[in-house]
Amino acid sequence: MIDTIQKNVYKAFGLSISSDFPLPELPQLNTDEELTDIGIHYADLLNMWSKLSEKNKYLVVKKDFVLFHVPDTAIFLIQKGNKVFVSPINGSKEAQIRLYILGTCMGALLMQRQILPLHGSALLIDGKAYAVVGDSGAGKSTLASAFLSRGYQLLSDDVIPVTVNENNIPIVTPAYPQQKLWIESLDKFGIDSKPLRPIIDRETKFAVPVPEQFATEPVPLAGVFELNKTNDYEIEIYPIKNLERLHTLFNHTYRNFLINRSGLMEWHFSTTAEIVNKIDLYKIKRPVSHFTAHELVNLILTKIGKGEKVR
Amino acid sequence: MIKNQSIVSQEQGNIVSDMDGEKVMLSIHNGKYYNLGEMGGEIWEQIKDPTTTEDLIAFLMKHYEVKQDECWDQVLSFLNLLLDERLIKIEDGAAS
Repeated sequence: MIDTIQKNVYKAFGLSISSDFPLPELPQLNTDEELTDIGIHYADLLNMWSKLSEKNKYLVVKKDFVLFHVPDTAIFLIQKGNKVFVSPINGSKEAQIRLYILGTCMGALLMQRQILPLHGSALLIDGKAYAVVGDSGAGKSTLASAFLSRGYQLLSDDVIPVTVNENNIPIVTPAYPQQKLWIESLDKFGIDSKPLRPIIDRETKFAVPVPEQFATEPVPLAGVFELNKTNDYEIEIYPIKNLERLHTLFNHTYRNFLINRSGLMEWHFSTTAEIVNKIDLYKIKRPVSHFTAHELVNLILTKIGKGEKVR
Repeated sequence: MIKNQSIVSQEQGNIVSDMDGEKVMLSIHNGKYYNLGEMGGEIWEQIKDPTTTEDLIAFLMKHYEVKQDECWDQVLSFLNLLLDERLIKIEDGAAS
């Protein structure tokens, strides 16, 4: 009577993942654990951390190696684009650890695999991917939610994996079917927050599963919209040009402080230089004075030629 | 300051890529982006190894339709811009 340890196998970011930690956010796969792309394991990293870490630093980065410490939560190690080791700290909450596994760990892992992780929401519109990027609180997820309410599909709501295929076309792979929304946005969309799970430590931000409106196939990236808040009353939109396009993609690369220290500057620069030729980039200023998500959807659809009237 | 007798070459630590047919560059030292343009990209290629400005001008005159005075003016001011940004260096030539 031997109990075999049932590992969980999931799919996210186009990769199969076996994990010692349950990851209920992710769809499950029936793949053999041995054959997965990525393994997430329990490990004791205390010794390694005390050897490698410097005073007042929370991060050690080398080629194919990212080690970081989140106080009262865990020590994490991401290696060679296929292994994540997690060393929970006594009394930490699993939900808190999961935030880092699906966030920073996956971002570092994608970079080690030379997959560009953009930070934002990606939507499927007429067979193409459009990314919405911007600083925290700019309204990325809320805008994505407005697109979903119009029947469009979600590709990602946090980390957007971008690769360049053999025909030099940038491709977005779907991440996983979940949105993160603030309570204010849920109210505006008339979504009841009672049955939803609050994201830990952020009781007013909720995880919203969106399995029915999740795109499952990789699609070409056609555009990036950078959201900025403004105190003006009018929505403004203008194209991002020339070198500013490279800055924009750098600024909105997920956990971009890892790039240089991982020895990936050259890869990142050549990849983004290649991508900017193939996509349209726009800067949008949205007034904070009122709720603009639905207006922004119309604006974006018009810009990409969807909303234009046929003569 | 670069003059007609200088020997110039690329400084190390810059990453170069193509964007819309133009040469773009990222300096690892200062984290700045540069667009060298098409002609600037050509000049950048030519000074991979230490090259006298005279040889560089001769090369450009041979391959592009440009008057000699104009070529000297523009190339020297371009090279001096690159030097100010520490993207190129002057070799210790016989002249110094």
